Amino acid sequence: MSSKRQSENSPEHHEISSLIPWYVNDTLDDHERQRVDVHVAACAVCREDLAVQNRIFEGMEAQPALDYMPAASLKRLQARLDDAQAQSGPPLAPSSDPIRQTPWRGWMAASIGALALAVGVLAADRWVQFEARMKQPTYRTVTSSTARPQGEAIRAVFSPTITLVELQQILDEAQLKIVSGPTEAGVYSLASSSSLTVRSSLELLRRHSSVRFAERTLPETDSGNSR
Amino acid sequence: MTLPAKNSPKERDSALLGAVASGDRRALEELYLSYHRRLARFLSRFTPRYENIEEIINDTFMVVWQNAKNFRHASQVSTWIIGIAYRTALKSFRRQKNHNGEQNLEDYPVQTVDPTFDAEVHDWLKHGLSRLPIEQRLTLELAYHMGHSLEEIAAITECPVGTVKARMFHAREKLRQYLPTLSGAPPGVPSRIE
Repeated sequence: MSSKRQSENSPEHHEISSLIPWYVNDTLDDHERQRVDVHVAACAVCREDLAVQNRIFEGMEAQPALDYMPAASLKRLQARLDDAQAQSGPPLAPSSDPIRQTPWRGWMAASIGALALAVGVLAADRWVQFEARMKQPTYRTVTSSTARPQGEAIRAVFSPTITLVELQQILDEAQLKIVSGPTEAGVYSLASSSSLTVRSSLELLRRHSSVRFAERTLPETDSGNSR
Repeated sequence: MTLPAKNSPKERDSALLGAVASGDRRALEELYLSYHRRLARFLSRFTPRYENIEEIINDTFMVVWQNAKNFRHASQVSTWIIGIAYRTALKSFRRQKNHNGEQNLEDYPVQTVDPTFDAEVHDWLKHGLSRLPIEQRLTLELAYHMGHSLEEIAAITECPVGTVKARMFHAREKLRQYLPTLSGAPPGVPSRIE
């Protein structure tokens, strides 16, 4: 017992004990690994600790992790970069060296920029109003029949937190495949991948809480496979 | 930016970051897509809300975009990016902790249920991990979930190796207290360490 305590208090024991987590995750170099092997063979305390750490490591490995689709998040990052670039101008680009300017030149440039922006916004606003009066609405609904990808039968929007696995399961169940998307609004164009009717596929899609929206893009013609 | 397929991941990351430093947005997107899954899986162990995860990842890549030109290749690109994510996450979790009130392992009763089954062990492990101080838990997750070496964790957390070892030591001790059956104590008898 006293020899065990002596061993537990030795610098060698403390040093080896502190390496055990990295022995477990297999990132020690060969020399350190051999030192741990030799010490653990003779030290009951470290053997027990090694067993505990292995269980924790395996337990953490076994905990399920979710997969998220990065496309929508990337679009939000791009919007942030655009905003930041619009606010600060070219110097935000990492390659650009900071432009040395006297303060009044900066203020003048900012004033000119603001004036140009105001004129631009006013002109754009007038143009939009003119267009609205003269033309069809410029917005598109998700079920709009224009610019429809080939084979598209359904347009759908999924929850932003849906995982790839869940999405694939839902599509497999509804026997659909993605032919286009997601758009900026997160809309996917889906085509039938089997002889299942569009109506049946729609019903299967709408059962899932992760499906925020699902509509057919072609008018319903018959009870058959109306694609 | 398209890189030859034969490049190793380290070379590829390094080339992409070089392109990001010269203002290539496409390179940033490639880097983002190649790291998103790894970072999201890591962060999802701390917060169930994807909005929080996305905010941390996007904040991380804003820093990558703005500071790529300052990267001096003293470490691997992956260590640098994960280090930025670590500090961004740490700030976010500290804000949440201040908002929600601090919860440490000591605030909770010791385990009195016998985790005989693996599922229960996983459940208790999840609870035990969630009650560790955030720096200790991040250290444990970086080692056991992300598989980083001692030196890599020291670089990611910008701490001396001795600090990383100390954090890991305290995390291990607290988990042993919280999970007595993992250390071989009889069920229902918490193995409090003096």
